[in-house]
Amino acid sequence: MTTRRAAARSLPGGRRPLVQRVLALNAWAVYAFFYLPIFILMFFSFNAGRFVTIWEGFSLDWYRVMFANEPLMKALRTSVVVAIVSTIVATVLGTAAALALERYRRWLGKRTFDALLYLPVIIPDVTMAVMLLIFFATVDLNRGLNTIILSHVAFNISFVSIVVRARIAQMDATLEEAAADLYASRWQAFRRVTLPLIMPGVLGGALLAFTLSLDDVVITQFVQGPGTSTLPVFVFGLIKRQVTPEINAVSTLMLVASMVLVFGSLLLQRRR
Amino acid sequence: MSTPVGTPRLEAASERANRRRGLLLALPSYVYLIVLFAIPLVFVGVYSFASRSRTGKPELADWNLDAVAKLLDSTVLQIAWRSTWLALLNTVLCLLVAYPFAYYIATRRERVRNMLLLLVMIPFWTNFLVRTYAWRVLLDSDGLVTRLGEGLGLWGSMLFSAPAVFLGLLYGFLPFMVLPLYAAIERVDWSLVEAARDLYASGWKAFRRVTLPLTRPGIIAGSILVFIPSLGAYVTPDILGGAKTTLLGNYIVGQFLAARNWPVGSAVSMAILIVMLIATTVYFRSGGRTF
Amino acid sequence: MTAIAVGIHSVTKRFDEVVAVDDVDLEISDGEFFSLLGPSGCGKTTTLRMVAGLEFPTEGRIDIFGEAMGLKPPNHRPVNTVFQSYALFPHMTVAENVGFGLAMRKVPATEITERVHDAIDLVRLTGMADRRPKQLSGGQQQRVALARALVNRPKVLLLDEPLGALDLKLRQAMQLELKDIQKEVGITFVYVTHDQEEALTMSDRIGVMNEGKLLQVGRSEEIYERPANRFVADFIGETNFLSGRVEESGVVRLAGGQLVRAVTHDPVGTEVTLTLRPEKIHLYLRAGDVAPGMNTLTGTVHRRLYYGDSLYYEIDFGFAHVDARVENAPRQQRFEPGHEVIAAFSAQSAEALAE
Ligand SMILES: Nc1ncnc2c1ncn2[C@@H]1O[C@H](COP(=O)(O)OP(=O)(O)O)[C@@H](O)[C@H]1O
Ligand SMILES: [Mg+2]
Repeated sequence: MTTRRAAARSLPGGRRPLVQRVLALNAWAVYAFFYLPIFILMFFSFNAGRFVTIWEGFSLDWYRVMFANEPLMKALRTSVVVAIVSTIVATVLGTAAALALERYRRWLGKRTFDALLYLPVIIPDVTMAVMLLIFFATVDLNRGLNTIILSHVAFNISFVSIVVRARIAQMDATLEEAAADLYASRWQAFRRVTLPLIMPGVLGGALLAFTLSLDDVVITQFVQGPGTSTLPVFVFGLIKRQVTPEINAVSTLMLVASMVLVFGSLLLQRRR
Repeated sequence: MSTPVGTPRLEAASERANRRRGLLLALPSYVYLIVLFAIPLVFVGVYSFASRSRTGKPELADWNLDAVAKLLDSTVLQIAWRSTWLALLNTVLCLLVAYPFAYYIATRRERVRNMLLLLVMIPFWTNFLVRTYAWRVLLDSDGLVTRLGEGLGLWGSMLFSAPAVFLGLLYGFLPFMVLPLYAAIERVDWSLVEAARDLYASGWKAFRRVTLPLTRPGIIAGSILVFIPSLGAYVTPDILGGAKTTLLGNYIVGQFLAARNWPVGSAVSMAILIVMLIATTVYFRSGGRTF
Repeated sequence: MTAIAVGIHSVTKRFDEVVAVDDVDLEISDGEFFSLLGPSGCGKTTTLRMVAGLEFPTEGRIDIFGEAMGLKPPNHRPVNTVFQSYALFPHMTVAENVGFGLAMRKVPATEITERVHDAIDLVRLTGMADRRPKQLSGGQQQRVALARALVNRPKVLLLDEPLGALDLKLRQAMQLELKDIQKEVGITFVYVTHDQEEALTMSDRIGVMNEGKLLQVGRSEEIYERPANRFVADFIGETNFLSGRVEESGVVRLAGGQLVRAVTHDPVGTEVTLTLRPEKIHLYLRAGDVAPGMNTLTGTVHRRLYYGDSLYYEIDFGFAHVDARVENAPRQQRFEPGHEVIAAFSAQSAEALAE
């Protein structure tokens, strides 16, 4: 705790409370900036009227409208399928890649692979969307659910492997040697020692992949086929046509879902 | 395992086996990324020189430089210029807001710190489209921000203008700047800062000479995480901007989904990618010498 | 004749440019407490890891009970290791840690419970079975690591500086305990340490290593009394070095011109270094008090250091300074700086080592 106190004293301006006060003010302003728009958005999802800015009383009508909106529900189902499948595939592939990079030395093409794995992270979405569209068009792959999933896996592998790698790097490699010394086969050592210990990283990576998959608009818009919109792409279309509290309701649903995911993963990590 | 026991080169055999295992583990994602990333990337490069067709899918014949020449077209240059300065402005502003913010969080007591951090995580994990839509509502002609501005007599509706796009970008990418900065500041060894306080006496000087250099990795990471998606932004300008605020992202999407001019879209995408690679490399190499 | 538990034959291990283990030959007998002793970085851990199968020799071969190990992975070798950092699995309880090896070998659950229980008792951790490694002290973690290895009844137990992280008192207690446990279970122990006292007190035999080479193998007394070279003499205990030349077999002429009788191994004329332990030197004021047959050298007391249980006198012979250790016993003569004294030592206590 002494370091924290030292930190407070070492702020620019040192002991002068003015600096501290400005910092605090800035912090609360940023929190307000983060949360007010979200709260207002959620608030108007319960609006009785059909405007998103003028309050006309409480109702759950827009949620009813939302659940009755068949194309929207279909997009939601598509989104969930895409997110789940692409997260599972990307998590398995990304974790294997992370293990190969962190635990195995000097294999053929390691450096190239390392670079290739980083590119999808630093490339803008639009460019990736263009690449994949051209690729699918050129190899004449029918666009639809399959191309969406293929694309989401392509960008998610990298994110998963970055998160998992950080976790593996923190793990003491002698634990794996100890397992081998205690008669564990390679698979048993992985299953009983490595995997449980890197699990927070794997779950973190999976959560990131899941979120990114549900976040994506541009890439999906490019590689989707007729009638296979995901929820964000569908909502994006709605926003551009006309804004109604129904969109606020969908947004609230998505907000609550991501909060549940975040808290769930936090609880999981606490338990470990 | 076929190597006879007791002969030399056992070690070499075991190392070969280990390398094979490494390659085997990486192989699925390696092949995946080659097929669904490296090859598509090459395709975009090739399509930049292809010719346009009416059906949308271009013909891989009549190779030409038309699309590449289009990069120097004044419309494209104007859009590129607008995108670049908006992305730069956004990066700098994110940094200016996020640094003191992250500093504040990182220097709280542990319990408070964890709580404050959690409050940053939520917007970070929240759907980007939803967060952009929140501003669409606020900035509308009778939105709360507009009414506030009119009440104060300071601004009217900003929707479909550059300031709206800018606000959206700031709101959208600020969490990407906060988290790496927080991670860097949290790791600072405060005894160094204490020592610097003894040497330099002025807190500001100690901050500039010690804390700031120590947190440079966070500054670099955050800047890259904000600059790249800002430059390629599509959702934000599409929802909050208008015809006069087209950015590179919208332009490219337009070429593919509306104008059906794939070669031009490809050429612009390649240009962005190349600029981005050069920028990040230079930035990493120089250790992010913005200070 | 006892069986050879571990046979290390012409083993060399290179990591790129670094030669970690350099052409080592060593045979460790069944039931022996064998220590590998040497300074940090001399290749002890690497040697142990090659026996465990965690590393493979660049050259040479390793046998365990006569069977060549070749590329056998660790899980197929009849040895277990106590790692320097303990390497306890943080996500498992003490009992789960200890039972891990048995579970991997598909031992029936009831037998596992029983053997884990016994092993935990053996290392005196009764009642801690359900704790996590993080909830244990360093000494307790060390015992878990020991139990986790012993419970498998390996043919050879490898221990890599297992007491290195413990404080002095605990280390000394654990040394005795380890030795008792080894006697009780009768397993071959290969014990790596850089602490010479630890090696001397615990081992049946010691192998001294430096810079990847195995310099000498022998019982504690052999290593201490008859060091094979200057490094061993210097590394084990304290010693004085006096340079000279072999005058005839059993006689050395010192740099100061004096002739002394010593244990020599080299031909006449060889430049040698005499090693002489401080406690083997007796100090007298009068020549008449010296027992017959002893070597004597005359010098002056340069300095006196008080150590509580003993006193160290630094004696100046003109051509060299030598430390002599004298027990702080009742009626023991005290010498003051400036005193002229006679230093006496037997021929047996002076070993002539070739450079
Ligand atoms: N995996 C490795 N890669 C490269 N060098 C190593 C490796 N392991 C050990 N070494 C080197 O080999 C030498 C012996 O190391 P080690 O066996 O750990 O010594 P000790 O256990 O006696 O301290 C040291 O110089 C060390 O740096
Ligand atoms: Mg060691």
